[in-house]
Amino acid sequence: MGFVDYVQAVIDGLLFGTTYSLIGIGFTLVFGVMHKINMSYAAASLAGAYCGLVGPQLLGLPAWTVFPLSIIAAGAIGYFIYLTCFRFIPLASPLATLMSTVGMLLLLDEIVVHSTAGMPQNYPAIYDGDPVEIGSFILRADLLGVFLVCVAAMAVLLALLYRTRLGLATRAVAQQPVAAQLCGMRLQAVNGLTFVIAGLLGGVAGAMIGASVGMLSPLISGPITVKGLIVTVIGGLGSIPGAIVAGLLVGAAENLFQALRNVTERDIYVMLLLFVFLVLRPGGLFATARGRD
Amino acid sequence: MLDVKDVVTAYGKIEALKGVSLSVEPGSITCLLGPNGAGKTTLMYTIAGILRPRRGSVRFGGDELVGQSADRVVNRGIALVPENRLVFPQMSVTENLAAGAYLRHDHGEIASDLEKLFARFPALKERRSQPAGTLSGGEQQMLAVARALMSRPKLLMMDEPSMGLAPLVVEEIFRIVGELNRDGITIFMVEQNAHMALKVAHKFFLMEQGKVTFAGAPGEVAQDEVIRRAYLGSAKAT
Repeated sequence: MGFVDYVQAVIDGLLFGTTYSLIGIGFTLVFGVMHKINMSYAAASLAGAYCGLVGPQLLGLPAWTVFPLSIIAAGAIGYFIYLTCFRFIPLASPLATLMSTVGMLLLLDEIVVHSTAGMPQNYPAIYDGDPVEIGSFILRADLLGVFLVCVAAMAVLLALLYRTRLGLATRAVAQQPVAAQLCGMRLQAVNGLTFVIAGLLGGVAGAMIGASVGMLSPLISGPITVKGLIVTVIGGLGSIPGAIVAGLLVGAAENLFQALRNVTERDIYVMLLLFVFLVLRPGGLFATARGRD
Repeated sequence: MLDVKDVVTAYGKIEALKGVSLSVEPGSITCLLGPNGAGKTTLMYTIAGILRPRRGSVRFGGDELVGQSADRVVNRGIALVPENRLVFPQMSVTENLAAGAYLRHDHGEIASDLEKLFARFPALKERRSQPAGTLSGGEQQMLAVARALMSRPKLLMMDEPSMGLAPLVVEEIFRIVGELNRDGITIFMVEQNAHMALKVAHKFFLMEQGKVTFAGAPGEVAQDEVIRRAYLGSAKAT
């Protein structure tokens, strides 16, 4: 393995890292409005991708329908999680939603294992054209497709947050919930919608993970949950730009470690990255500026 | 205009309001005085629909507000400038004001209201694209007032608008309160600064330990006694 291979590994990692960015954004969005971690988020994203398979596998729909179906299903699961794990749970207790969402994570995984008999399911690639060659480097067509879809999803999210009335309400509730209510924003409606939006994003991430790995397996949900949390910590809880950059960083680092050492050691270094950040930059990459009050 | 009758609001077992009754006349400046912990802020949040009272009634222009959500109260024409201002710190000044107009859909009018407010609060215009968290305390208070005005309220409630501000800024705020009132907005404000409050108020209520213990108009009564009790509570209480 030479220098070129390491650069190639980083490129592949950056392309795939956009899925981690999306998962990180989802954790961060929900944390922003609820000030709680939704531990079931990554599992729900993958469960959405599994639901998408129902279209081609059971209903005989064309293969491409798996993508929109995955996204819609994940949005619906997001709202279901809001209702079951947050809406009627006493939010004053920090442990209550941690337990309810870990329970939901286990439940979702169990449903997936049960309905697929634990067998991995094939998942179509988003695009299977010829790879693009740039000098001595190669951009894999399927990863390029994943990258473009994830970047488009981020662009849509940012436009939603910063250009629409709903986005204004989401940010207002995240920054100052009492004042948001005094402006006429309805807390529970905004919270519920935030879960749906985070769910839709997770659906994109779940579908793109399936598309780049080529299959979905119940074994994916654990590592994706952990990496999503690492991305969230590195990016800084509540920071969307942080989550985007941290997702790319974790994707690139993971692939580089894999090239430098091997696939079995890879995650050890990613975990170490988490500790490095917790010790040296606990507020994340861009610790957000605080107001005077 | 606003009629509060026998309102009881509790946090768990502790009753912060023990049957509060008062009324605000249309077009007036009405002040609510009282020492810390008297329940003034609880009353403000109860009227605004953030807290739900255990019993009692809050009527505004004939409509019952108890049981209505906060957005309905805003829609009826009541805006609250909350204690500690509570601006949205990471949003720009303009975005904070846009949030204040959240329930309105008349975009042309919103834009012209924005310009009018920028004329009234020039400091905010200068800092229109700055995050609200970087403003000084006085500027944040102006922003909180401007944000509340963006909903075009008939009744503007203000909770301790002078708290923690320099004397010059406090005078500026009371000057604006007078101006708004002359423009036809009814003002109901909680104030610790009893000296200033009694200068502008048409009517005042004194609240102590969850109850209204005194009501009157400035000049009608011995002000020293009211001011003393506003700061310290009555002799019986202490």
